[in-house]
Amino acid sequence: MKRRDFLKYGAGSMAALVVGSEMPWLMESRAYAAFQTPTLDLTMTDAMKEMVTHNPTNDARCYFWIYKSNTPNLLPECPGPTIFTTEGDIVTITLRNALDEPHAFYIPGIFDSKAIAPGATATFRFRALRAGTYLYYDNLNAPVNRVMGLHGALVVMPSAAHTGHKITPYTVPSPAVQQLFDDFGSSSHWPGLSWEQGDPGSDTPAFRQYVWVCHQASPVLFSEVGNYTPGADYPAAQFINYFMNDAYADTFNTGVFNRKPHFFTISGQSGHFVHNNPYLCPNHRVGEPALVRVLNAGLYTHSMHIHANHVFVTAINGVSQPNPLWVDTMTLHPLDVWDWTVPFMRPPDVPNVRGIGRADTPLTTISGHPAWPPLEELETFFPPVGTLSGGLVGVDISVQLSPLCYPMHDHSETSQGAQGGNYNCGLISGIVFTGDRNTPGGVTTFPNAPAEHGPEGTGPAAG
Amino acid sequence: MSATAPAYTIPRRSVVGEEAEWCKMFDPPTDSPATPELLAPTNPVPAFIAANVPGAKNTVPNTIRRDLMHGTDLTMYDGKKVRFFTFSDPDVPATGGGVWPGPTIRAPRGVVFHGESSAGGPPPHTIHWHGIEPTPMNDGVGHCSMEIGSYTYQFQPNFIGTYFYHCHRNTMQHFEFGLYGMLLVEPPDAFSGAPAVAGGYPRRTAANLANFPQFPGFVAGDLAGGDPHAYTVPYAAEALWVLDDVDSVWRDKMANAKATFPSHGLLNPGVDDQFFKGDFHDFNPDYFFVTGVPFPAPVGSTVSCAPNVVVPAHLNSGVTGMQVSVNAQVNQTVLVRVLNASYVTIRVRFPVDVVIIAFDGRALGVPPFAQYNHAFLLPAGTSYELSTARRFDVLMRSSTPVNSFATVEFRHNQKNDSLLLNGLIPVTIS
Repeated sequence: MKRRDFLKYGAGSMAALVVGSEMPWLMESRAYAAFQTPTLDLTMTDAMKEMVTHNPTNDARCYFWIYKSNTPNLLPECPGPTIFTTEGDIVTITLRNALDEPHAFYIPGIFDSKAIAPGATATFRFRALRAGTYLYYDNLNAPVNRVMGLHGALVVMPSAAHTGHKITPYTVPSPAVQQLFDDFGSSSHWPGLSWEQGDPGSDTPAFRQYVWVCHQASPVLFSEVGNYTPGADYPAAQFINYFMNDAYADTFNTGVFNRKPHFFTISGQSGHFVHNNPYLCPNHRVGEPALVRVLNAGLYTHSMHIHANHVFVTAINGVSQPNPLWVDTMTLHPLDVWDWTVPFMRPPDVPNVRGIGRADTPLTTISGHPAWPPLEELETFFPPVGTLSGGLVGVDISVQLSPLCYPMHDHSETSQGAQGGNYNCGLISGIVFTGDRNTPGGVTTFPNAPAEHGPEGTGPAAG
Repeated sequence: MSATAPAYTIPRRSVVGEEAEWCKMFDPPTDSPATPELLAPTNPVPAFIAANVPGAKNTVPNTIRRDLMHGTDLTMYDGKKVRFFTFSDPDVPATGGGVWPGPTIRAPRGVVFHGESSAGGPPPHTIHWHGIEPTPMNDGVGHCSMEIGSYTYQFQPNFIGTYFYHCHRNTMQHFEFGLYGMLLVEPPDAFSGAPAVAGGYPRRTAANLANFPQFPGFVAGDLAGGDPHAYTVPYAAEALWVLDDVDSVWRDKMANAKATFPSHGLLNPGVDDQFFKGDFHDFNPDYFFVTGVPFPAPVGSTVSCAPNVVVPAHLNSGVTGMQVSVNAQVNQTVLVRVLNASYVTIRVRFPVDVVIIAFDGRALGVPPFAQYNHAFLLPAGTSYELSTARRFDVLMRSSTPVNSFATVEFRHNQKNDSLLLNGLIPVTIS
């Protein structure tokens, strides 16, 4: 992907700002629309956002307070831009408060701007000393300002590997986590690339990583906050109570929502716009391990379940785990930040010779083919090719089962809808296997694997 | 600045060019395809069930069958009738009307597993084998492949441990309404012995107990070399704790499984789609269970489930004696499998020291992944938290009698972890 294309994709929401040391691996990664910037320049302002799940007569909107990047001039979005820096780098940040109350920019353990008065502008410097994943947010009138949308992710990358080891995402990795990252690409059970390795020849970036900022949006409550007396803080206890305990309203019969959230987002998007967005949905070949950084800016606890690969929980709230569990589901409390390390191993329950969950020789099917790669399945379309959405005038809505597509979703399923229904338009992402580095004959890429794409356009169409 | 005059607007994303993926996300196609990459199934358990469960048959060789869904009204402890969605096993007549939780599937590691699924009536369904990791069609998630009329799921369960299966259609409703059952993967030879052995105890499960010699019979061995008992330990008793909750308002008001389904546009997907508003974002559970056994008291209570509950063999793949409440003898190894099938968070604590040996079907510390994690002690009275769909397996063994309870705190994950109910599960070791 060319630099020019980055700028095009940067018009979308998943823009990343790189401040401090250069990160050529990131600038060349198609997983991010990345902008190198000497300083952060953010305005705290507001926006009305058109949400997922709607038809032309469905007023699906939610009001947010947001951090907006002025230079570079990124489109407004909630959450704020993902910020990448390197451990030890000094970051300069200019903050402008365009809202009516005091607001702030806070990174636990790293930086606290303290209150910035309405209309004021202030410039600060901070330095992140420990590599890892952080939530930045407005910590004033907690949790109101954060939950109203003033939040985003900060990724601090390590500056170097420890002597004799490969790079991990952490300044001080636990021995178990160091071993895991040392073994990727170097052991018989994790063949392929290590995390720090890319492969330009197969369009594979190094340091493959994704950021999922989870959030719950309540249009009724957020508008109430937005229309509150200018200059006065909305009472935080009342905000929490309405968010969690507002009286049940029978939306199904009335269409009237209570103040509980009914849109659920990952990095600002829901359903299709996460799952089919290569900036947000990990998409790699078998043998290309990746990191997913998961943060919760809201007030609900989620239970994140990933299909196709168990994942190692390698850090929780800044602590590289001494006993990283290998799980398919993990608890995400409010303000939690943890990292999933995804081995991107062959889905281990595909039938093979030994049946011990390794990338063994696949069993041979009745029709005489190896069971992996699953060529018969990869060539299948659902619905069949030529299925038109609206009879003769519609568009073809067939989808090929290639590359291999799986979901990731909150298993506390009340967050999987939108507007109280519409399953699969909520807190869902995915994992996509675009090929296999370890097939006989070399690196395989499955049909239709995206080199780049993404639902970046906006317009009158619902969605 | 205000919601009526914001500084910016953030416009909707367009789905132009992505209509197919967009539609499929919320309205997956229904189909009854042949299984791709078809293999001959090798699972011995269906024949075992037919031979050992009265009235059972094995219609399709080496193949487990599940039919969904059935609607069943169950009576709560206070007399209220509540709607459930359930699975049945067409080969086991005693499950004919559907049971909740669904019949437990046991399968040996390494077999070619076939699960033949039939689904009647609207809306369409799938079966997702949670924690099993096959190809997408066999993963049973509608928008990643298809929903079923009928289909034979195929995979090879390759890690011993605790899994479950559930419908992955409109999951927020179908899973909450009870469309799930357990899937337990056992050592390769679990069903190769005589029926009295294969259908009872002791059994074995995966673990690395090199640091916990209090559990006799642990075998290290060579997993890669084919040792069926490599990294397993025997247990004399087994308890299954599936914690669940019910929101009776959901059951009353939204029993129509299709009411909040969107559908894609007739002419212009993404433009004239039909979406509906519902109540599934607002969850307020008021009944609580362990493996279908009620904690018979209202929100706020501390209450025990019934003692001496044993899962009948026809609901447990022909295996006799799996328990809910624990009855064991001193110096017996007891395996407790815990699943949080509720939509809230649970905190589990045991009256004796236990060792957590596995999470989510991955035994801790088993080679070649042994250097990454390890089994660990959970001291008596210490809570461990599980959010929805998480599992762990623990071993307990007491050299002295115990006449006590394990405690499961249900805490609302959307209400600051506020306490909903203290459920007590009897633990008797004599």
